[in-house]
Amino acid sequence: MKIAIFILTAIVFISSPLCASAEEKKPEEGKTATGNVSVTGQYTDIDGNRAKFNEYRDNREGIGAYIGAEGRYETEEYYMHGEAGNIGYRDQQYRIEGGKWGRFGLDLYYDQIPHNFTEDAKTFYSKPGSNHLIYPTQPPSTNINTWNSFDYDVMRKKYGGGIKMEMLKPFFFNVSANRENRTGTYPFGAAGTTPGGIAIELPAPIDYTTDAVTFQAGYSKNPLLMSLSYFYSTFDNDNNNLYFRNPANAATAALTDALTLPPDNSYQKLDFKGALKLPMRTKFNVDLGVSQAKSDASLLASYVATGGATPITLSSSTFNGKMETKSYAFSLTSTPVSFMDGKIFYKYYDRDNRSDQITTTDAAATFTNPLFGYKKNKVGAELGFRLPSNFYLSGAYTYTHVNREREDIPKNDDYLYDLGLRWSGLSFMVARLGYERLNRRADFEGQDLGGAEPWIRRFDAATQTRDTFKALLDVFPVENLNFSLGYKYKHTDYEDTILGFQDMAGHEFNFDVDYLLAKRIRFYGNFDFERAVQQQFQRNLNLTTPVFDPAITTSTNYNWTADQTDKSYGFTVGADIYIVPKKWTLKLQHSYLKSNGDSDYTYLLDPVTLAGMAPGGRAQNNIDIENWDDYSLRYYLAKITYQPTDALSCAIGYAYEKYVYEDAQYDGYQYVPATTGTNGAYLTGAYRDPSYEAHIVFLNLSYKY
Amino acid sequence: MRKFLVFLFLSSFPIFLVGSLMSGETQSSEGTVGIATCKACHPKYYESYAASIHSKKAIPDSPANKDGCESCHGPGAAHLEKMGSGGAGIFIFSKKLADAEQKSARCLSCHSETPRINFWDMGRHRAAGISCDNCHTVHSGTPKNLKARQPDLCFICHLSIRAQQNKQSHHPIKEGKVKCTDCHDSHGGFGTKMIAANSANELCYKCHAEKRGPFFWEHPPVEENCLTCHAPHGSNHSKLLIDKPPKLCQACHDAAGHPGTPYTSFETFRGSATGSKNRMFARGCLNCHSNIHGSMGPSTRGQTFVR
Repeated sequence: MKIAIFILTAIVFISSPLCASAEEKKPEEGKTATGNVSVTGQYTDIDGNRAKFNEYRDNREGIGAYIGAEGRYETEEYYMHGEAGNIGYRDQQYRIEGGKWGRFGLDLYYDQIPHNFTEDAKTFYSKPGSNHLIYPTQPPSTNINTWNSFDYDVMRKKYGGGIKMEMLKPFFFNVSANRENRTGTYPFGAAGTTPGGIAIELPAPIDYTTDAVTFQAGYSKNPLLMSLSYFYSTFDNDNNNLYFRNPANAATAALTDALTLPPDNSYQKLDFKGALKLPMRTKFNVDLGVSQAKSDASLLASYVATGGATPITLSSSTFNGKMETKSYAFSLTSTPVSFMDGKIFYKYYDRDNRSDQITTTDAAATFTNPLFGYKKNKVGAELGFRLPSNFYLSGAYTYTHVNREREDIPKNDDYLYDLGLRWSGLSFMVARLGYERLNRRADFEGQDLGGAEPWIRRFDAATQTRDTFKALLDVFPVENLNFSLGYKYKHTDYEDTILGFQDMAGHEFNFDVDYLLAKRIRFYGNFDFERAVQQQFQRNLNLTTPVFDPAITTSTNYNWTADQTDKSYGFTVGADIYIVPKKWTLKLQHSYLKSNGDSDYTYLLDPVTLAGMAPGGRAQNNIDIENWDDYSLRYYLAKITYQPTDALSCAIGYAYEKYVYEDAQYDGYQYVPATTGTNGAYLTGAYRDPSYEAHIVFLNLSYKY
Repeated sequence: MRKFLVFLFLSSFPIFLVGSLMSGETQSSEGTVGIATCKACHPKYYESYAASIHSKKAIPDSPANKDGCESCHGPGAAHLEKMGSGGAGIFIFSKKLADAEQKSARCLSCHSETPRINFWDMGRHRAAGISCDNCHTVHSGTPKNLKARQPDLCFICHLSIRAQQNKQSHHPIKEGKVKCTDCHDSHGGFGTKMIAANSANELCYKCHAEKRGPFFWEHPPVEENCLTCHAPHGSNHSKLLIDKPPKLCQACHDAAGHPGTPYTSFETFRGSATGSKNRMFARGCLNCHSNIHGSMGPSTRGQTFVR
């Protein structure tokens, strides 16, 4: 916070109108001071979920005053810029930079980013957000009126600065450092017993500190650039475990269960970048990087189960995580003749997992943690041709080979083809067309694995064919009119997939317009539409007598599908009406955003078998979900601005915002639907009903100099 | 493979050394008329130039230390001879009179030595016919001479991304807390999609260091690419997920017991199912499997990310 006060003091100094007026009285060659100070008085009335309304901001209910300032002071040799926003609020930010032109520069910043998830959540645990969650008597009360209230929110406070040195040109040197403190309470969860059992939502602590420092030194003078950088970062979590009393284990109520939290870690990276201009407008570029991430943690020696604390036998009680990556990239870009651009490149990325492998024996089994790593080789070429009549035709081909330490799909080969056509033959428009084809081939080895693995194709690596078409039109027929139209169609066919995502397709349409009419009214607007469909094919398997082959159907081993459709659209229409140019301006704006999702389920069973399934009453037409992340956001703004002088302006306005959210997973929310079994849960209200409605009246005074 | 890379790395140095002996480009001052002449006819342009960084004489290679306006617009003698009509005889940054390559070449004649611009040739912007003046204005005192602030500037072209970040789950981009350039090298670089890192995960870990691990139990698709499950520019589904749990999780995890169970309207809070509902309502799978990015729990419970 001290850094924020320092930055604010400096900003106030350079944004001071006194400073400006002094300059006006005695102007000096090349000396300028500009800036503005803005004060907004605001009344906000929020009905509903304040956390969602303020997800990343701090608009407080009731009356508030919001101050922002920006200042620039420059001479022929030196400069200083500063800006501050929402001073004193949870989303306040400050930045100041200064230096000597062409010689050196310094910057300092302080930024707070709130992330509000849920306000007024409830839990029977005392001290929600601490690393030790307890409650007095077993079982916990199911009367939520007796529970503790708290907020789920996380605050990031990030501050840092840097120095850039250019005084020894062509040599340069940069150093920067920053720290981020992240604090708050976040919804975690745990299974009460496993497998099966209740779900427990836990208000977990966030007490993270991340430090980072970067050094960069290099040489840049045509035809050569060389740059070496070193990045070092540490992550420190004040809580490596979340201890909690587990309501699922009544016989061992006094025992403390534990959920592991992200471990402390460190990361460092050394990176060399170089570029060399060669004859024939050709350039050779290189990027060579090596990095290492490390973590360490003392492993828990037992876990809590129904029978009490169950010991775990470990081959080592300490886990040392170590990940090394190597990244090499080489590229040759060229424009050997005026009508042709070319590029060839090769990239190599290796994630080498050198963490400890520890053998664990618990009541369920003996196993060793596998180490996941992968290698990726990518090679490609791009060509572009300037054709007659202002056509530009481009084509690209990229081949990627991935080797990963994974049993089901250890290898992938990607063949990516890209074609583009641009036309700028008319002085008032540019048209672009693009087509991309990905053929991914997977080396599937799941047929040798047990269970349903021979039929599962995980979509991140499964064989697929993906087609993407794009079209974009920018039109600017007259000086004061611009509009853009965009369309994109993307279709992914997971052609070998039996269980998993089989098909994904989506259409997107975007439109944007801006028109200044007779220098008196500026109309602006946009419209976005998207329709996305996912088709999924899965198999229900009986727990005790599973029949894995999807070709066989029994009453408890059968296939099912889910077709999900998301339709979204949104628009903004607005006008800036210059009632008296440079004196009175009226701004009117309306935005609307709507998304409608549904999931169409089909049990691939005959009606008789389906009718016999528990719970009764299921049929093909009553299992679908109609509200699948449905939401709408409506926004209105009316603002009138009066500018008595070039420097001074005042504005008064009204804004209305209404957000409505409906989702099958949250409708009819219950904190304790049951206390045992697979319907059981102790929830806290995390993400429950984020709908809100807000009215905002504001008065703004702004002074510019 | 390793030997080949070492060879490639070592062999690049002689190329650099040879290249460094080659001379850079030089600019001719022949035919210039001087900044005062420009100012006489174009006072407003002169004023905006004077307010910009380009007018600073303290910067050794600035236009102020070269030929002023003519550093970018070229010698003005021919322009004067043709009485200056419609940009005749001179280079102007107009869509009608110059293509993107020509305009960028003007800027790069000085800025190609700026380290962060050095990889402009590799970027998608250049290939898409974007020139420096699409984003920057030469005649301005705005920060970095940008025509608008982020993200509005980027959304002029990236309409689809604008639509995505308006969705209910998004990074705080429109709130001004995350900038496009926090993740992307707008001037070109080595990363796919111009990301400012060698991999998507490396980029994400800059802000999400708690996901960095290394974890005792890893979730391989998570470690390989965050974008397998997340849509970074915005999503209709919470946590920027490409789909909702349990459906998203089931696409990969179909096994005996609850992973393969169809969770339908019967398993919601309002549904009449007599079991398995806590795998569907609220956060679905994440009600129990909250350590989905990796776990330090040594038992089977860590293996299934429930501890």
